[in-house]
Amino acid sequence: MQLLVNALIAGSLAALIAGGLAVVYGVLGVFNLALGQLALIGGYTTWWLYQVLHLPLGLSIILGLACGALVTWVTFEIAVRPFFKHHRFLPLVTTIAWSMILDGLILLVFEERPRSILPGLKHIYEFSGIRISLEQGLLILATLVILLSFAYVFHRTSLGRRIRAVVQHEHAALSLGVPAGLLHGFLFVLSGVFAAAGGIFIGIDQSLTPTLAFPLTIKAYAAIIAGGKGNLWGAILFAYVIALLEQLLVGVHWFGAFYVPAGYQQTVALLFIIVILLIKPAGFFGNSSRTA
Amino acid sequence: MTFLLHVIAITAMSAPHILGYNLILGKGKILHFGPLGTSIIASYVTFLVTMTFSNYFLGLLAGLVAVVAVSSLFAWISFRMEPDGFGVMSIAMHLSFLAVVLNWHSVTRGALGIPRVPRFPFLETPADFALFAVVIVVLWIAFLWVLDRGSYGRKLAALSEQEWQAKSLGIDRRTVHWVAFVVVGLGALLTNIQFHQYIFLVHPNDFNFAYLIFMIMVVVAGKPGSIFGCVLSLILLSFLREGIRFLPLDADVLGPLRLIIFGVILLGVVYWRRDVLFPKPRSI
Amino acid sequence: MKRLLACTSFLAVALTACQPANSDVIKIGFIGPLTGDAAAYGVDTLNGVQLKVEEINASGGIDGKKIQLVPEDSKCNGSDAATATQKLTGVDHVVAIVGGSCSSETLAAAPIVEATKTPLMSPLSSSPDLTEAGEYVFRDYPSDALKTKAMAAYFKAEGFTNVAVITENTDFAQGFRQSLAKDFGTFVFDEVVEPGTKDFRSLVTRLKSAEFDVFVANGQSPATISAMVVQLREQGLTQLAITHDAGQAEETITIGGDGVENLQAINVPSLGEETAFGKNLVEKHGKPRGAIAFAGHAYDAVGVLAQAIDEVGTDGAAIQKYLNDLTSYKGVVGDFSFDDNGDVVGINYKLIEVQDGKWVELRDAPVQ
Repeated sequence: MQLLVNALIAGSLAALIAGGLAVVYGVLGVFNLALGQLALIGGYTTWWLYQVLHLPLGLSIILGLACGALVTWVTFEIAVRPFFKHHRFLPLVTTIAWSMILDGLILLVFEERPRSILPGLKHIYEFSGIRISLEQGLLILATLVILLSFAYVFHRTSLGRRIRAVVQHEHAALSLGVPAGLLHGFLFVLSGVFAAAGGIFIGIDQSLTPTLAFPLTIKAYAAIIAGGKGNLWGAILFAYVIALLEQLLVGVHWFGAFYVPAGYQQTVALLFIIVILLIKPAGFFGNSSRTA
Repeated sequence: MTFLLHVIAITAMSAPHILGYNLILGKGKILHFGPLGTSIIASYVTFLVTMTFSNYFLGLLAGLVAVVAVSSLFAWISFRMEPDGFGVMSIAMHLSFLAVVLNWHSVTRGALGIPRVPRFPFLETPADFALFAVVIVVLWIAFLWVLDRGSYGRKLAALSEQEWQAKSLGIDRRTVHWVAFVVVGLGALLTNIQFHQYIFLVHPNDFNFAYLIFMIMVVVAGKPGSIFGCVLSLILLSFLREGIRFLPLDADVLGPLRLIIFGVILLGVVYWRRDVLFPKPRSI
Repeated sequence: MKRLLACTSFLAVALTACQPANSDVIKIGFIGPLTGDAAAYGVDTLNGVQLKVEEINASGGIDGKKIQLVPEDSKCNGSDAATATQKLTGVDHVVAIVGGSCSSETLAAAPIVEATKTPLMSPLSSSPDLTEAGEYVFRDYPSDALKTKAMAAYFKAEGFTNVAVITENTDFAQGFRQSLAKDFGTFVFDEVVEPGTKDFRSLVTRLKSAEFDVFVANGQSPATISAMVVQLREQGLTQLAITHDAGQAEETITIGGDGVENLQAINVPSLGEETAFGKNLVEKHGKPRGAIAFAGHAYDAVGVLAQAIDEVGTDGAAIQKYLNDLTSYKGVVGDFSFDDNGDVVGINYKLIEVQDGKWVELRDAPVQ
């Protein structure tokens, strides 16, 4: 049971990032490989505001998210907008370039040190054999709240309908007066805010190091590809599934005979995508059709 | 003088792989981000077999077989997927190979790497290596040139522009793409055999992402698909990378600065090359 | 524009490749990972080196000549280390090199320094492969053998028979694990995780049902080590936790908070931040990013090389002979000398513990 709780914690961290990314991928068709760095920036800014400037935690978090949004907007203007209309795959390379620039900047400003937003032992609650800390519980709840509110907006409001229209067919939406260009920017920034939230959670629960950006990005992509292109809920579901697999893989005494070496824990995500993609190349919930 | 020879040697050694990669990414427009995965297999298989049996020929043969197998694996996967899916998948495979190497200690010595790799008996000084590497590169370029200018090059370009139309003209996508992957594999083999014996070491840290990004940069900067453009950009970027060491800056500023400079260069170069790298598909 | 830049750097490389040696200064080179995953240790070792160089220069230099430090970034991989070493020997004509930090760097640099007869002293590489790397390769960082002997002796003295280990899959931590296995015996729980992992929850869940007396946090950096210990405590496990010199850092306490209270470590003595060396380091270069031990070893590496140059001059072969014959050097990490292979001997270990948020030395941890 503890394993399930562990999976919930780890999955929540990944789900937000994966969700934001899925939206961007579904609408714009672009990969944003600078996402890990955006998460880090959200986390580091919050750390700085909270631990260095000693602002209250809530304010630090909000400002951290705002900072993440700002940098994401800059990312969009520099690395995505001039390119994605030209060809879908160009932002793949430009976001890699931008992520290098961000990496360099993060190193210069925050140095090569681990930072934790809430250091030390957390308050642990124990019930029916499961141990979980207050912060972790709050994180899981916060993630669920954010996801649910996004779901509500997406499916029940007119803004959500407009977004879905753009996802389905951009030109048709444009002809109906939906401001597709604005929505593109909005969605991109939203994905950045989600990523920043994920980064803040990691900073609270574990610690931030400049090099954790890339594995995060890869795991988020694993979730998206498995979930199917453009399918937001598929991506989030698979983020949790991957987290569960990772925890189970190492935690369970398989067939009562052996334990999987922990070194392969991260590889799970990767092998998982490989298997899914071989069985269902368009992802679990996508449609399989190859266009010229 | 030795330093210059060393830089020439390293640049020439890395050329075969990057030139092969140029064929697949630049000309074929196939989003293959796993060439380092092929490198890992090439290096480890070749050198493990060589050192176990103390026989270079056996090692090279094993390496060749392994490389063709891995390239075929990549090719097969690329046939099953959409291009973006394959891009992410190839990264996943590269990371998986790396994880296997790191964890299978009994065979690969894991994170400790394989030190004191034997060299070819006729190669000793950096000058020897530089000369040998340049000779190999020239031969490889000649091979790629023939491939490029012949019908194969035309078929690959046709597939990258309009895939279904090309197929309807009788061009077999599977064969043409498979050959492209194998070419990358052979390039990887050539590069890695030379490189690891030169620095006497096979170590997992040599196969990380920074190098993939360098490869992408070289291919994008020199006109993607053009062999000579790629060679030129390789020479310039390699010298730039080593030349930055000579800047009189504080050491812990230099590192992040290098990242930023290369990021800016890559961004600028993609902007400049955006028409050639991924051309707007022409519709009727 | 890019081509112009590249052309000028090409010319720069070519021109500086043929530089005459400047005889007014003594050049000492440094290679280490200043960027990348291992940058924390690289920067710390560089700071230790810089501290000693500044000290020596402030008191007149060696025989009146100042030391000029030439640092190079080797990014913790062999190819960059090889290029960096080639530059230092071929272009800068350094008298000696301090480095690398990662064992792969030192291994790649070894053949080059052997060929150019330049003494190399590594302040941090612990791989057992380095023992036979060459005659010009020294290290003032003990091969894992010494550290693990001290830890194994401690376990035996306390009567610990069941040991649980979680190792980060880097050459440093893996070398430690294999050496400890040789000195102690089998572990009751032995897992290796990917470098940079911070989520040990499932492994700790498994530990709950395992029977063990002591837990060894065999990580590569304070972040991972404190994560291991904190998550262990969060799950209610109260057994003793112990780590090595990579964990004895301020950062471990900053991140771990109460979670790392009573965490022990085996490390060389007198390297806390309250000592003269520590205070000096923090004042000039800020708090160490990794552990202060790394700066300490680097500091001593420069010290012993400077002493050698002072005694026998700048000839590589002479320095090498001096180092081999040296009977003892008093450094901040201890009183040491080198054996026939260039490995250091004589470093003592102490048992240290976190008490009330500070690292406190308890007692000696003899190697037996």
